[in-house]
Amino acid sequence: MRLKIKRFHYARDVEEALSLLSAYRGRGAILAGGLDLARSFNPKLEGLIDISGLGLSYVHEQDGGLRIGATTTLTEVLESRAAREYLGGFLAEVVGQVANPPLRNQATFGGAVASAHPWADLPTALVAVGAEVRWVDQEGEHRARVEELWQGEFRRLLSSAVITEIFLPPWEGAFAFGKLSRNVGDIALLNCACGLGIEDGKVAWARVALGATPRRGRRLLWLEDLLTGEAPGEELWQVVREQVEANVEVGADRRASAAWRRAAAGPLLARTLARAAEKATARQR
Amino acid sequence: MQEAMKIYFELNGEQRYVEIEPGESLLSLLRRLGMKSVKSGCETGDCGACTVLLNGRAVRSCTTFAAQVRGKRVTTLEGLGDVDDPHPLQEAFVEAGAVQCGFCTPGMILVAYELLSKNGAPTPQEVRAAISGNLCRCTGYVKIVDAVLLAAQWKREGKWR
Repeated sequence: MRLKIKRFHYARDVEEALSLLSAYRGRGAILAGGLDLARSFNPKLEGLIDISGLGLSYVHEQDGGLRIGATTTLTEVLESRAAREYLGGFLAEVVGQVANPPLRNQATFGGAVASAHPWADLPTALVAVGAEVRWVDQEGEHRARVEELWQGEFRRLLSSAVITEIFLPPWEGAFAFGKLSRNVGDIALLNCACGLGIEDGKVAWARVALGATPRRGRRLLWLEDLLTGEAPGEELWQVVREQVEANVEVGADRRASAAWRRAAAGPLLARTLARAAEKATARQR
Repeated sequence: MQEAMKIYFELNGEQRYVEIEPGESLLSLLRRLGMKSVKSGCETGDCGACTVLLNGRAVRSCTTFAAQVRGKRVTTLEGLGDVDDPHPLQEAFVEAGAVQCGFCTPGMILVAYELLSKNGAPTPQEVRAAISGNLCRCTGYVKIVDAVLLAAQWKREGKWR
């Protein structure tokens, strides 16, 4: 461990966790699974506040959507029947590709939202489905769509808050997830989540998020507009490949060049959209 | 100034009450307590050499704070069996020739133990997925998969505990 923690607290309720956070004045942190904190270099941190005993580990179905408690581990999500059934298995498809079983036993859903690593798989999927984060701070309860939260100074905002729940809304169509990585379980070089609603043989709505670009997952609104009203099929996927290569905004990091990401994004998105279209069409039957 | 704290937890079936530093890793605590099967590899959660079972789930002890196991059940390889009375999984690793330098073996056996506790008849692909987060520096993965499949067969035949 690289942290020089002076005190470790076991919060008994959200109010106590917030009170402790406030007392540390920026030198305390909320701990759920602890995976990211254990690898953190933050020399300022003096206190850790464990919220794993607050009863925030659950997965509940609600009107076709899902409410996932912040301290629910990714393994618990995978083992939840409601989560496995959500959007025809879409969430399980994503979570099953995150890291490996021991890390999924420790990583939590709330932790994934708080850390929101740019290369991570869950943020891309949560942006695509329009997930909502619910948190509590000294001023009360708050909620926001993840894509709005992450566009702002969310780390500062969440440093004095406790994430309580993530809500994944229901959708009538189907979603698919695509990922390119060096090997199974490795972090993504590029990932995407695609949702389509099909009506009368045409795309009624589209939700497309591309992540690890190397920025965090963001929706491609121009591609969603391009897809809407079109008939899904190889002709449309070819247009996707060409338009993505021409228009996508990608960059370079130590894992992949911008040129590679530009060349790979089109085929990845086209392939994932084709799977989403196939699932959406099958759901209609 | 770090304030030492005391926690109780169950280690390999025995209740322990120990003093820890607030920022101490579970890996450090277990090594202090003599659990030398828990290996210190990368210390970043990447290699799996320090894997232990926490309430029956495989986790990295290097990325787990010792304070997190308060009131919980920790199992290391020492808790499964030893040379005089090996667990069938340990015997399967020897039988299949799955032990080379041995550094990854405790972690491999514990992730396999969790897999077999949930799935008594895994496919080779499921075994590979289960051990995918554990690195073998000798790169001898084929025999490790064979060993887990052999242990699964023994479990189905009732040679288990």
